[in-house]
This record gives sequence, structure tokens and C-alpha cells, in this order.
Amino acid sequence: MRPPFRGDPLSQIGAALLVVLIVTSLVGSTAHVFGSPTALGGAPLSAPAAGHPLGTDQLGRSVLARTVAGIDQTIVLATAAVVIAAAIGSLLGMLAGYLKGIGDDIVSRCADALFSFPAIVLAIMISAMFRPGSATAIAAVVIVTLPVMVRVVRAATLMVAEQDFVIQARIAEAGLGRILAMHIFPNVAGTIIVQMAYSISFGMIIESGVSFLGLGVQPPGASLGSLLYEGRVYLSVAPWLVFVPGVVLALTILSVNLVGDGLRQVIDPLLE
Amino acid sequence: MMAGALMSLEAVSKTYAGGLPWSRSRVPAVRSVDLAIGEGETLALVGESGSGKTTLGRLCLGLIEPSSGRVLLEGQTFEGLRGRLRGRLSAVLQHPQSSLNPRLRVGTSVIEPLVIGAGVSRRNARQRAAEMMARVGLGSSVAERYPHELSGGQRQRVAIARALVTWPRFIVFDEAVSALDVSVQAQVLNLIKALQQQIGFAALFITHDLAAARYVARRVAVMLRGEIVDVVPALQLYRPAPHPYTRQLQQASGLRLSPDGDRP
Amino acid sequence: MTPALEVRGLVMEYRSRRGRVRALDGIDFAAAAGEAVGIVGESGSGKSTLGAAIGRLPVAGVQHVSGEVLIGGVGIFGLDEPALRALRRSRLGFVFQDPIGTLDPTMKVGRQVAAVVDGSADRGVVDGILTDVGLVDVRHVAQSYPHELSGGMAQRVAIGMAMARRPGIIVADEPTAALDASIKVQILDLLVSRCRDSDAVLILLSHDLHAVRTRTRRILVMYGGRIVEAGETATVLDRPRHPYTAALLRSAVGREAPGGCVEPIAGVPPASAERQDSCAFAPRCVYVIDRCRSVRPEARHVAQRDAACHRADEALDLEGAP
Repeated sequence: MRPPFRGDPLSQIGAALLVVLIVTSLVGSTAHVFGSPTALGGAPLSAPAAGHPLGTDQLGRSVLARTVAGIDQTIVLATAAVVIAAAIGSLLGMLAGYLKGIGDDIVSRCADALFSFPAIVLAIMISAMFRPGSATAIAAVVIVTLPVMVRVVRAATLMVAEQDFVIQARIAEAGLGRILAMHIFPNVAGTIIVQMAYSISFGMIIESGVSFLGLGVQPPGASLGSLLYEGRVYLSVAPWLVFVPGVVLALTILSVNLVGDGLRQVIDPLLE
Repeated sequence: MMAGALMSLEAVSKTYAGGLPWSRSRVPAVRSVDLAIGEGETLALVGESGSGKTTLGRLCLGLIEPSSGRVLLEGQTFEGLRGRLRGRLSAVLQHPQSSLNPRLRVGTSVIEPLVIGAGVSRRNARQRAAEMMARVGLGSSVAERYPHELSGGQRQRVAIARALVTWPRFIVFDEAVSALDVSVQAQVLNLIKALQQQIGFAALFITHDLAAARYVARRVAVMLRGEIVDVVPALQLYRPAPHPYTRQLQQASGLRLSPDGDRP
Repeated sequence: MTPALEVRGLVMEYRSRRGRVRALDGIDFAAAAGEAVGIVGESGSGKSTLGAAIGRLPVAGVQHVSGEVLIGGVGIFGLDEPALRALRRSRLGFVFQDPIGTLDPTMKVGRQVAAVVDGSADRGVVDGILTDVGLVDVRHVAQSYPHELSGGMAQRVAIGMAMARRPGIIVADEPTAALDASIKVQILDLLVSRCRDSDAVLILLSHDLHAVRTRTRRILVMYGGRIVEAGETATVLDRPRHPYTAALLRSAVGREAPGGCVEPIAGVPPASAERQDSCAFAPRCVYVIDRCRSVRPEARHVAQRDAACHRADEALDLEGAP
């Protein structure tokens, strides 16, 4: 198989980085290779040293272990939310773009209304309505991602729907379901995938923000954002509690973004 | 209703409304057109851009409704025929690059009209599609390819195979050869003529090219600003036409005309 | 005297995912100031590649392999970027098939025309250019965006912009393919007369044999990346000496007798990666002999034109355009 993103070194770096992060978090979560995120193994708030390579937190847990667990949660929550939003948003977007008319007007106006809120404000509003927890964080990311998905898929559908082969399907009396499934969806799928990559990266930022405010993932669970929430009070005495998850979060978001760029380069020429 | 006509248009008009609610502009694309096409006949519709010929093609396919007048296929309106066409009507449209779903193998695109409208089983459909693709001069391996792997001429042949696979009564060709090379145009025009002999469909052949129109059709209708201004037997277009606009089109197309009757 | 445009042994290659193809396989011709030269060929003949190569315009996947293009005696493939740009600005003008696509959709027409004449905001200059190409109500045109103009009007603007700096060479690649029949005539007339007035070379690339016949003095017929026949337009089109030229004429709708047939050319155009030691048209030629498949025919001067065919002097029964 050809190396993915050939000729696109940045995306290759992003992909490699993402693979490293995912493998690390999988191995760490299942085999506790990097230590247990819940074991109170060392002296609280101790600086990085042999034995605890990235230090310990306020309860003596290994920062390394918790950060690894945090990567897992951050990626999983954002991905799950984006998959849900993509499923709903794509269906709405395709229907709106193909059928047009009143339904399209309603869906588009609703999407525009949601889209007009700054995402983090919207996310906080949603989170504040429910009990703090992982499910709330997911809900926030879904609500923030939906309008983007609807708009992007609708725009792609508008372009596909005016192509001759769709008109041919109508002449042959194909039903709505068949047209959407066989003709529209396969030709907007690339756009959806690219948008999902960007939305996952943005979703991670949103989830981190929500968790950073204490409204998302709750201890002892950890996402990179909630680790920042827990560690911020100790910033002056144990900066590694904030620094480590913060850097890892930035790298994770960056790697997903680069993969998204790479996917877009691959998919766009095929759309020609 | 014009007796015996397969496709007839009776005083058909189509007006598009545009502009803002307080200053709507009404653009008449088609103005009170009467036309009849008999079984097995090819009528060419010639006009320049803006003449309304594309709109007329869409009306004949039932894709849009007339603002006034009636469009009748075998004596029935499209309202009455909704969902019951069963492959009696098909089209070959202009752009070879977008007439086939890029994500499907071309064989799948060709069987689609059979599978949907005529309710034919997939296996039967594949057999009939293979037979039709052979008729249009495509080898059996072509069915497994994707559209981007074929040339413009090959794609147009696939589009013709798809249009014919249900053995339709009526086909609309909308600028079907305009995007093709000179010698490939010749191949496709000859193919259309030959297939009409074999299958017996009636056709509306829409084009801006008078040379192709007089070659492939029995009658030629000339359209200008939404109206049909002249209808002549195709053979007569090998001589200078009496109607001034038709003659203007002849001169602009550089057609070879014989001044003295049908002899070359 | 140096010809205004000369092409010597030009070979260009096209690389795609599927491999390499010789887009141009050794092109030689020259044009003098004020000449109108038509280049005809179908898809895969290389004519568009040649048109772009005259200005060394970058085309995706196309690379220069060998040979040279000389404009006023200056070889363009040896120039560096700034010199090349300067040469293009001063000596070349291009007109393409889709005028609305060539013009910048985000700028008003007047501003674009002004940009071509070194940003001179002088309305008079802009209006003058637009009037010279036969537009009326030029102020209104100058204030419009390209998509608000008809195809014919946009093409006139494109021609005006191409000729604004009085270049010595105009390359028009299918300038009327997207236009209506009646507008085609006007646009071609405009192009030819403007070039004649400014003594510029007009290279007209077209698949429309009728258009080329009435507007050009000389014609080059291209096939498989090579020039197969070249000479005075009337001579070549009336009495072709190359089987491809004849086959092309026979396959064009519009010349047949009432009730007669057009004959398409059997087979498909070639696409090879290497220089072939055979005639590019041999697989499809009805007059083919063994020699055609083993020896590459070079252009010979026969019956007042150049034809690259081993049998060019045999006066085969090639029916031309009467």
C-alpha cells in the first residue's frame, strides 16, 4: 500500500503523531504499561523523577498514567460526539440540499441560528443544563458540530444534485431513498470525512473547555481538559500538572488537524 | 390531441419568475409551442443559447411543468404517468463527464433504469445491459470500469446504452454530441441513426449545430427566443432555406449547400 | 529575416498517474509577422499543448523534454522567470475557450482591462480598448462583472485585453467553441482583423475546419503530437495529401451530400511514451503499407505543401473538400 499523504510531509508527521498517541493511550489503558491512573503510588505533588517520570498529582497518582488515560478520553469523547453529529447532520444536510423548499429553509435557518453562537458559549450553555459528566460533554460537542455538518453537507449536496447523473436517476423514476443512498451520499462522503476530521479536532477543544470548567469529565475519570481543571490550582507549586496535559492536548489537536489537511488534499482532487 | 403522435406539445409555454418580490421579472423561456413527434421519428430542435430549447427538452422529459398548455406522452400528461413510465422515456444529456455517477462502475449505471422502473431482476438486467453495450460498440470489459477511465466518446456511448436499455419509446438527446471530437461525433451520430433503425424509438434531438441536426433527423424545428419559427424536412436544409433566420444559421455553420435540389 | 515565431524540434511530455505520454513529438514550424496560421487536430493531437508551449504556460503534468520555441529569435526555454514574464507581457497575447472563466470573477471588467495596461486608471484608455473590439455602451461594460456579460461580449473583452499591449503573437485556443454560431463569425472576424491591423501573428487552434478555412492563410494538421500536413489552407483542405487530413474532412458533418453518410475514423488516437519509429496514424490508415509501421515518416514537400506520409507523392484517391 502506498504511504498515505505521499508528498505531504506535514500530514505524514500529523498522522504518525496521531498513531503514536492512539497506540500509547490504548496500550496504557488496557495494560497499564505506564502505571495505573488510580493508584496512589507516590508522594503527592512530587516533581518528575525516576519512578514517576512526569511527577505525581495532588493525590499521589502518576501524572504520566493519568495523562495517558486522558488522551484516550479526549479522543474517544470527541470522536463519538462527531460521529453522532455527522450521522444526524449528514441526513439533514442531504435532505435539505436535495429537496430544497420549505424544509430546507427551516433546517438552514436553525443551523444558522446555532452557528451564530460562539461555540464555547453554546457548549457551556448546554453543559450547564445537565449534570456534569462525560455524557454532557458529548452532548455539547454534538450541538456545536451539528450546524457545521448540516451546512457543509447541504452545500456539497447542492452541487451533486445538479449533475446530469442525478437527473438521469429522476428520469428513471428512482425514489428519494435510492437517489440519496446511491447517488448523493457516495459523492458527498469525501466531504463528510474531511469535515469530521476537522470537527473532531474542534470537538476536542470544546470538550477540553467544558471539562476545564468542571462541567464535563469528572474525577477520577480524566480527559486532558479535566486534568487542566484539576491541576490549575497547583500551578505555582506543581506546574507539571498543567504543563504535561496541556502540551499533550495541543499535540493531539494539532495531529488531528494535520491529518484533516492531508485528507482534504487527497479527497479534493478526486472531486474534480 | 394530435392523432397518433407519441409526444405532443399543445400551446406550451414556460415562464420563469425571477427577481425580488416587489419587482418580479417574468422571463418567458418558451412561448406557445405546438409540436408533435410521431413513432420512430427524429425531430431535431435547433437554436442558439437562450432560444429555450433546453427548457423545451426538460418539458418533454417531465422534469418541469409548463406554465400553460399540455405536454402529452402517448396521449397522457406527466401527472397521470407519475411512477408509471417504466422506462418508456429516457435521455442522453450534454456533459459526458457528469452524466455517469463517478462512484459507480458504468455497468451498474447502465442497468439502473431496468432495475428501478421496469422491475427487472439484477441478473436479467446485467444480461440485457451487456447486449446493449455490445450494440453501441463497447467491449464487454468496459462495464467493469469507472467513468474516469473512459474517453468522452466511450462515456457518451455508455450514456446511450443506458438510455436504450429499457427499449424506450421516446428519447431526448440534449446536445448529446456537442462536447465530442469531430470524428467521434460522426461515430455517435451514425450510431444513433443505426439504433433507431434497430429499436424504433422516437427522438427529440436538441442541438445548436445545424449540420448534426439535418444529418440525424427527419424534420428540423428552428427555435428563436422561445418560439418555433420554422419547421422543415431535414433534406431541405441541404439547400438554402427560405426562412431568413434559418438561412442565417446555415451560413454561420458553414454548411455545404447545393443550390439546385437534392443532387450533390 | 528572423521569423516572428519559430518552433524547432519541440518535444513535450505529459505525466499522469497512468504513465507518460508524448504530448508533442517533434514540432517544427515558423510564422512571419502578420500571418494567420490555423492548427487543427482532435483530442490527443497535442494542439493545445503546443498553444500553451508557445508561451511556456504551465500546464499540469506537462514537461519540456527537448527542442525550443523562439520568439523574435529568443529561445524561451532558456529564460529565467523574470525574463520569461517580461517576454510574455510584451510579445504574447492569449485568448482561451471560456472567456468568463479566463476573466477574474471578482473584479469589474474595467479594472481588469486597466490592470493589463499597467494599471492606468485612465478611463479613456480602457474605453478605447473596449470600443476597438466592437463593444457598444462601453461604460456599462466596464462597470460590469464578467458573469454579467454574454459569452460573446466577454470574449471581446478577453481579446481586447490580449491585444492591449500590441503583442506580436496572439494564440487563440478554441476561442469560439463556447459561442453561438452567429457570434462565432463576428468574434473570428474581429480576431483576424485586429491581428492584421497590428501585424501580429495569429495562431488559431481549432477543431472547426470551416472556421480555419475561411480565416487562415496557412494550416497545420496535427495528429499524435506531430504535424502531419502543413501548407496553404486552401491547398491542404481542398486537395489533402495526408490520409488523416482526408479522413478528418470526410468525418465532419456538414459536407456530406443529402442523404449521404459521414465516415468516422476507425480506431482510437495514439498515446505513446517514447518516440515511435512508425507513423502515428498507421493503425487507423486505410492506405497503410509495411513501411509505415517501421519507418517514421518525415515531412516532405509535395504538391506545394509539406506532408509527413510515405505515400504523399502518390496522389492517392483522397477526396478533399470541394
